[in-house]
Amino acid sequence: MGEVSIETIPVSSMSDKTLNGFIRKNALALKASEAKLIVKLLGRDPTLTELHIFNIEWSEHCSYKSSRKILKKYLPTEGPTVILGPKEDAGIIELCKRGKDRYGIVISHESHNHPSQVVPYEGAATGIGGNVRDVLCMGARVIASADPLRFGNPFGRKKNYVKYVANAVVDGIAGYGNPLGVPVIAGDVYFSESFDENCLVNVVNTGLVKESEIIHSKAPKNSEGYDIIIVGKATDNSGFGGAAFASLVLDEEEEEFNKGAVQVPDPFLKNILIRATEDVFRVAREQSIELGFKDMGAGGIMCSSSELCESGGFGADINLDKVHVSMENLPPYIIACGETQERFTWISPPQFTPTILKIYNKDFELPNVAEGAKASVIGKVTKNKDYILRFKGDVVCNAPIEVVTKGISYDRKVKQLKRKIREPKLREPKDYNKTTLQILSHPNVASKAQLYKHYDREVQGLAVIRSGEADAGVQAPIPGDKVGYALTVDSNPNYCRIDPYLGGVAAVAEAMRNVAAVGAIPYGMTDCLNFGNPEKPEQFNEFVESVKGVSDAAKNLFLKGTKKPVPFVSGNVSFYNESVSGKAVDPSAIIACVGNLKDYTKAITMQLKEKDSLLFLLGPRKDELGGSVYYLINKQLGANVPKIDYRLERDMIYSVIDLIDKKLLLSCHDISDGGFITAISEMVLGGEADGKIGAEIGISNMGNSRADKLLFSESSGFLFEINKKNINKIKPVLKKYQLKENKDYFIVGKTTNDDKLIINNENKKMINLKIADLRKAWTTGFIEAMK
Amino acid sequence: MTTGIAVILFPGTNCENETLRAVKAAGMEGKMIRWNSNENLEQYDGFILPGGWSYEDRIRAGVISAKDPLMEQIKEQANNGKVVLGICNGAQILVESKMIPGLQNVIQMALAPNINPFVNGFYCTWVNIKSNENKKTAFNLTLKDNEVLPIPIAHAEGRFTTIDKHLLGELIKNDQILFRYCDKEGVIEDKFPINPNGSLYNIAGICNKEGNVLAMMPHPERASWQHQVPSMQSYGDKAAPGRKIFESIKKYVKNQKGF
Repeated sequence: MGEVSIETIPVSSMSDKTLNGFIRKNALALKASEAKLIVKLLGRDPTLTELHIFNIEWSEHCSYKSSRKILKKYLPTEGPTVILGPKEDAGIIELCKRGKDRYGIVISHESHNHPSQVVPYEGAATGIGGNVRDVLCMGARVIASADPLRFGNPFGRKKNYVKYVANAVVDGIAGYGNPLGVPVIAGDVYFSESFDENCLVNVVNTGLVKESEIIHSKAPKNSEGYDIIIVGKATDNSGFGGAAFASLVLDEEEEEFNKGAVQVPDPFLKNILIRATEDVFRVAREQSIELGFKDMGAGGIMCSSSELCESGGFGADINLDKVHVSMENLPPYIIACGETQERFTWISPPQFTPTILKIYNKDFELPNVAEGAKASVIGKVTKNKDYILRFKGDVVCNAPIEVVTKGISYDRKVKQLKRKIREPKLREPKDYNKTTLQILSHPNVASKAQLYKHYDREVQGLAVIRSGEADAGVQAPIPGDKVGYALTVDSNPNYCRIDPYLGGVAAVAEAMRNVAAVGAIPYGMTDCLNFGNPEKPEQFNEFVESVKGVSDAAKNLFLKGTKKPVPFVSGNVSFYNESVSGKAVDPSAIIACVGNLKDYTKAITMQLKEKDSLLFLLGPRKDELGGSVYYLINKQLGANVPKIDYRLERDMIYSVIDLIDKKLLLSCHDISDGGFITAISEMVLGGEADGKIGAEIGISNMGNSRADKLLFSESSGFLFEINKKNINKIKPVLKKYQLKENKDYFIVGKTTNDDKLIINNENKKMINLKIADLRKAWTTGFIEAMK
Repeated sequence: MTTGIAVILFPGTNCENETLRAVKAAGMEGKMIRWNSNENLEQYDGFILPGGWSYEDRIRAGVISAKDPLMEQIKEQANNGKVVLGICNGAQILVESKMIPGLQNVIQMALAPNINPFVNGFYCTWVNIKSNENKKTAFNLTLKDNEVLPIPIAHAEGRFTTIDKHLLGELIKNDQILFRYCDKEGVIEDKFPINPNGSLYNIAGICNKEGNVLAMMPHPERASWQHQVPSMQSYGDKAAPGRKIFESIKKYVKNQKGF
């Protein structure tokens, strides 16, 4: 085993009590048993630096020690649309073939929950920062962001802090993403008291890359003797222990200490780093130089350099004195493991190193644009598979590189949580107008225009459909080409609270419906799994159930034209999302879905386009009000979560895609939060809430249940608008997918020239609302929640 | 020989790619120039300062770039009649560099924080603008009288303002207020959301007296293809109205060169 030249920590001879004291004093998160395991793996006592290394590598965040086996067992990750599955920093989904090459959409999905709860502005900002690096380092141009957000109850017990967090998170996303020049094209927001003490801030980024130009996160073939170069901000002590922090339960008493674990964002430097890095990509391509490139996130220089070298089958010899730092007297473990933002690691052949240094340090003047920022050569790739760190003449780490990166794994116990759930017996509302307006103004339903207009939705000039205009955002990623892609995110915390399995199924199905509603074919997904404490069997069980749910849905909602799953190409697990009292957040398997559009000019929005059109409801309304907005406004949760009938779901999704491809639909909206009434109201209003076309619906056309169930049940489905003269072209498409009139689909009404939404029951107008009333309710609910 | 338009990249600029694309789509040559480039700028027909956060908006948006040695050269080229367009952060730079409104050798105006009852700070939305029919400049040669352009804005500090009581009158008299915010029909009213940031006199863009330098807050490069314009996405790659501003620049350059 490798020798070190400094004093080691006598872990092997310490009692568990002494060891635990030592661990706490040094702000480590290891368990005593894990520290002893290090001794076994190294064949000697570790140095303090080595302890810190394993502390991070064995954190939940880096090693997926609780989740790895479950994910491997269930999640489908392969398929014909996959260019790169979940192996590296981001996954890649096929976009189109052009000539000999294939273009791909790079996608990464992460959480930054704990940092955002403690220091919301910086936490949210660095969440984007890290995720953008993941996409960029695949050799891609970063082209879009999406932000699924979960905040506490804005009217509840903790409302002041909840609103502070919510507003600061939104400002942080804007404050980072806008200067960077990455448009936000999708996202969602849910408020629930389960997130009072632990918000969820997920971020999705996409990029565009040609398959032949992908840069892998590993040292290239025959790279022995290559330089290890780090580039970016000067290393300081910010964000030290961030990965380990992400793997602990938040404790208010330790808040000040925890704040130190949050990194400091610098979008200005990142903006320039991106541009300089794109220049490195370009020059390397011109000269056919193969490089390794990796984002520096959790575990800093150590994680990034060890993973790069290990995955190429090499070792590394690094001199920490060569790292550019902005503070004096930093100990070696902070230089090696600190999570200072805005840094990357390159593996470069020595003859190309001067080019990299010139691009960053001279052409883009990093040292002049941000204090201390630059590119520095810090070590070499070695044939010997050891991970060696030197500091002031000493060897402070010398461990087999595979031992460093391998991580550990646990089999966590599961136990079914006994939930007290039941269906309420509600009386039918007397005033459906009032209920409709209550639903539209619920913050989970209401327009989020105030939020997404705070983000730059237009930068890069690729926009086709923006957030708010449809169920998914659409971009034209290759200028001059008709190809497009759609992006959406989804997960309903209320369904997941009732049933994590069905909630997971519903999230996947809705994400797919969302991209289908603009005309895109679901091509691939990512999952960010936000759960409680994996060491608690009930909470770990929720995780396992959710993974099974999303996996089953992905396997059963086949990739269109095949019997293969829609694959997951990337993802992230975030545990320990619980309150101080030990209550976990609502299980949240948040899904992002990428849809493919052969021709983006066919994409449609949700807004009604013409008067005298026919309105089709696809998908029968069932007694599925569990977790619905209707129940929430009646202070109920219920039990009957929408269940997905896979056969029907596939046929609905495929038929909508075909109908849009044939240009037969004028507008289309998925049915979800709030049910049919939300869908029709949002189609009347449109994303800008400036709609002028009304609608008249006959409720008897929708089925035979009680009116509140027909209007407010969140059973899966679509609502779409067609020109009357096309009815005979539409029915054959629905028939092709075995969809039957008045069973699977219903012609429910028409659009009108009046500025009204009318729902007729027999001869009575059970709902009769002016568009202005709908607008007022829908456009104020979110603003009230954030105020 | 023409080398076309130089699109200037300052540290922190973020709209350079689509701006260059819009230049080329309008039928001009174009090239990106880094702030620290030692190129001779005389070879270019004109210059665009694109949007972004140059120098991190340190002190005030546009201040540091305005003092960049490169701007001295651009000023000199503008004095020779070359066209200079500043979009968003580029507009802020032109105001801070005294090129706009350019009536005195002092900073006469500011782009102040938006006044907006809906969203605090950065605000991104679609608005409408129309150009001043009385004055033909390098930027509105291709616009019809009364033509309304749908165009997006994306800024936190876009409110043209001044403490000089006489300045507005002078700008009106000189026809330097080239673009104003209006509604879809072209009616100008000083109220939100028609005026999205509380800008004085609904000003969206101001040019110099000679009409070859323009500072505008809205982004024409984001309204140059129909897919970019809400409700026009089905027309895809065809030209959208914002491109006319670039086409006007092309026409101006051609007229100037006399061929």
